[in-house]
Amino acid sequence: MTDSDNLSAIFTPKSVAVIGASTSPEKLGFQILKNIRDAGFKGPIYPVNPKARAILDLPCYPSIGAVEGAPELAVIIVPATAVPATLADCGAKGVKGAIVISGGFSESGPEGEALQRQALEVARTHKMRMVGPNCQGVNNPYHGLCASWPLITMRGAIAVVSQSGTVAAALMDWAAQEGIGVSGLVSMGNRADVDEADLIEHFDGDPQTRAIALYIEGVKNGPRFLTAARRARKPIVVLKPGRTEKGRQAAESHTKSLAGRDEVYQGAFRQFGICRAETLHELYDFSKALAYLRRPPGRRLLIVTSSGGCGVLAADVAAGEGLDVAPLPEAVASQLRASLPRHFVVNNPLDLTGDANSRLYKDVLAAAKGAFDVAAVIFGDPIVGASEVIERDRPELVIYLGGADVEREEGRLLHARGVPVFPTPERGMRALAQLVRFGRPVEKARP
Amino acid sequence: MTAEIGLAKHPGRHLLEPEALAIVKEAGLTVIEHRTATSAEGAIAAAGQLGYPVAVKLVCREIVHKSEADGVQLDLRDAAAVGAAYRRIMEGAARHRPDARIDGVLVCRMARPGVEVILGLTRDPQFGPALMFGLGGIFVELYRDVSFRLVPISEHDAREMIHEIKGFPVLTGARGKPPRDLDTLTRSLLLLSALAASRPQIDAVDLNPVILYDHGCVVVDAKVFLTDGEGRP
Repeated sequence: MTDSDNLSAIFTPKSVAVIGASTSPEKLGFQILKNIRDAGFKGPIYPVNPKARAILDLPCYPSIGAVEGAPELAVIIVPATAVPATLADCGAKGVKGAIVISGGFSESGPEGEALQRQALEVARTHKMRMVGPNCQGVNNPYHGLCASWPLITMRGAIAVVSQSGTVAAALMDWAAQEGIGVSGLVSMGNRADVDEADLIEHFDGDPQTRAIALYIEGVKNGPRFLTAARRARKPIVVLKPGRTEKGRQAAESHTKSLAGRDEVYQGAFRQFGICRAETLHELYDFSKALAYLRRPPGRRLLIVTSSGGCGVLAADVAAGEGLDVAPLPEAVASQLRASLPRHFVVNNPLDLTGDANSRLYKDVLAAAKGAFDVAAVIFGDPIVGASEVIERDRPELVIYLGGADVEREEGRLLHARGVPVFPTPERGMRALAQLVRFGRPVEKARP
Repeated sequence: MTAEIGLAKHPGRHLLEPEALAIVKEAGLTVIEHRTATSAEGAIAAAGQLGYPVAVKLVCREIVHKSEADGVQLDLRDAAAVGAAYRRIMEGAARHRPDARIDGVLVCRMARPGVEVILGLTRDPQFGPALMFGLGGIFVELYRDVSFRLVPISEHDAREMIHEIKGFPVLTGARGKPPRDLDTLTRSLLLLSALAASRPQIDAVDLNPVILYDHGCVVVDAKVFLTDGEGRP
């Protein structure tokens, strides 16, 4: 990872101090220290607490000044009023990055706002980058750094950047549960210093990241955000609430009265190639599709299913999303008629019925290869061996449901191979539509 | 009266409609043929020059929304109708804002019927100048069926703005009507974008309606609002 953005002290520090480390297991100052240790951080960890001799068997320091050497990163969990002085001590010690977990800043009124300005000024004076305040921290599973909670260490390809700590944690948790993981997580909190524009730039340059999931209630700096988004080569998915917000101004100008905040955001997102999610599930689904699949060459879609109902549901959403559920080309249709049992209706969606098994899926997908831009493969029953049907070099999107334990096992195997699985036809088709619009192109084979 | 004088003279307010039309015309858009007048006789003479039917509209700095003050009289077919309209407008303005200084009236040719669209410009506090496109009438009033893009826009952006509104089929020849001139519409959006980029004094623009034909379009009503000279509305 390069340090062109000065964020390496935040994401890949050699050493970490936890200022406000606590001996009480119910306190964040304890949990964060424990998570950093338990995530397998390789460098020295320095708990700072004047009242403790050791926490979790790590020797404790009375102040950051008393630590030998200079920790690169400080995670700060002290009362808001003590934060500016603590940052100043960090700066004097040579600390390069700070994550301020503590609340009580701009979110809490004018006094907090003044404290936040003070904290930012101190950080700037000492050329320290700062995440927060009022945040849930940073997690870089590729560096064993869980300066956050809960403890999650699963590595993957989605970068999670969020104004809400819980939204960030939920996405990382889902990704870990499915066995796909994330490439990094930042809960930005009040964004006094590090904001979404910095983090888009950072993760765009991060080799582990293939898509950036962003939850924001508004951008901190419009022009900087747009510049970062325009430069980014990786897909950015944004969940920004406020669709129904009636922020209409009573303005003399008709245009002004129609320009709700959200309408202008929507225009900007479209103009700058940003994929917009409407729900938290979509933020996850779209990021997953964009991180783990490549953009199909076009919109012509073949739906292969073992469930008629799910095929219809998928076709319905696909059409609404502008995907083309095109008739089977005659050559493919006649080949399928010859090889499939007589009672099959050769059509698109192609319903393999309850008789379907992985062998049949394999044959059908092989026969249809090249005739469509992308295939939606719906496993609508406990189909054993489903994970072996999917080939990574074919544009295929997998939906698996109604398969109980078999589904969970096959899903696990698919995710382990880096093949994302979607839980319903609707969610799968919505994600596929984004992939067609915003996906990373297939890398050309080197000559 | 040139557009430059209009802009320099009135910081922190809206331009008179003749000034607004002049700026929009100078930007390259086609505006409705018009004359100004300060008397019933003058209005009748102007109508004679333009050719009937005409519309007569109030010109008054203090009254932005003219129709609320009976300030818009449409489809006037002869001199008698224009004279009567002039008097109705003066009475309406006096009733609506007795203290208002009335600058006169604008006499415009009536535009041929076509599809009414809205082109607009606003300044977003976060993103700066933004263009708006929408269909006129109930599409915008009831459904808020509009699209936005940030200035400057590309031709691709302009075409997307036009395509993404729900009422788009109205422009492509729905119900046996001819398809509309989307190339000219695209060009008009690009011209408005260029105007916004070159004139930081402009806070907002409403071109409402613009009438779109199978060939060309014409701006029938223009409002231009200015910032206070330091970028504030």
